[in-house]
Amino acid sequence: MTLTPSHIIEHLFCPRFTYFEYVLAIPQYEEKNYKVMRGRNLHDERLERNKDYLRKRVGRPGAPVTEKHTDQYLTNELMRGVVDEVLGFGDGTMAPLDYKFAEYKDKVYETYRTQLYCYAWLIEVNFGRLVDRGFLVYTRSNNRVVEVPITEEDKLDVKQAAEAIFTIIDRNFYPKATKAKARCVTCTYRNICIK
Amino acid sequence: MIIWVLYDIGKDKARTKAAKRCQQAGLYRVQFSCFLGTLTQNQKDTLQLQLEELIDEETDKVYIFPMSRGELQQTALLGQAFDKKLVTDEIRALFF
Repeated sequence: MTLTPSHIIEHLFCPRFTYFEYVLAIPQYEEKNYKVMRGRNLHDERLERNKDYLRKRVGRPGAPVTEKHTDQYLTNELMRGVVDEVLGFGDGTMAPLDYKFAEYKDKVYETYRTQLYCYAWLIEVNFGRLVDRGFLVYTRSNNRVVEVPITEEDKLDVKQAAEAIFTIIDRNFYPKATKAKARCVTCTYRNICIK
Repeated sequence: MIIWVLYDIGKDKARTKAAKRCQQAGLYRVQFSCFLGTLTQNQKDTLQLQLEELIDEETDKVYIFPMSRGELQQTALLGQAFDKKLVTDEIRALFF
């Protein structure tokens, strides 16, 4: 089994999530959530349009965007994922770009960051080039592009989380719930989780 | 938060669907094209997107108004009025 960025995000939300969904195999019925499904369809719609468009403006001075790979399916020893766009720059670095069916509210949420860190790790392994930032496109805020810096520690955190998930799944380990009680209010597993 | 949803939708099919979406979101039908109830921010956003997809933006109208609990208590209701306590979730069950 390989993980996806969603596994990592769910695990960081609460380790119990991993247990309920992948050890006990209790589904969370994402397909019944309207916003989730709208967001999924977004990628299909976008693929049809502007196939050859290069986002030149996101490049750094002296290192413009030189290449782009859409819908890249990437894997490494622990993880797999599809990156909406992988951008290559003139200075040899690369960056993931992800479309979000969301509004930008002056803050990039931790889940989106984590996803980009996962992609950064995947791109570095597959392309062998440095990734030190990523981009998010907020389609509900007039396709606003936001740059997110990515450090070595961020990529390391994701690797550690991936290993923690395998500990839970392989050993059927029932982990402690998250300390952030506010998350329990909207959690899909709140009815079956022991307080 | 307490949300009012009022609409004026021309097409019968779209109007029926709009009513269904409002009721599925947990709103209480005050009048034929007027709904009221308590929603979370996410539920409100979902309903807004669903209605947006249904309507014809050139002709139809949909209003989504938030209202505080205090303001609802000050509302004047004449004739066959709805139950304010039911709408604000003060009554959790109808049978005991």
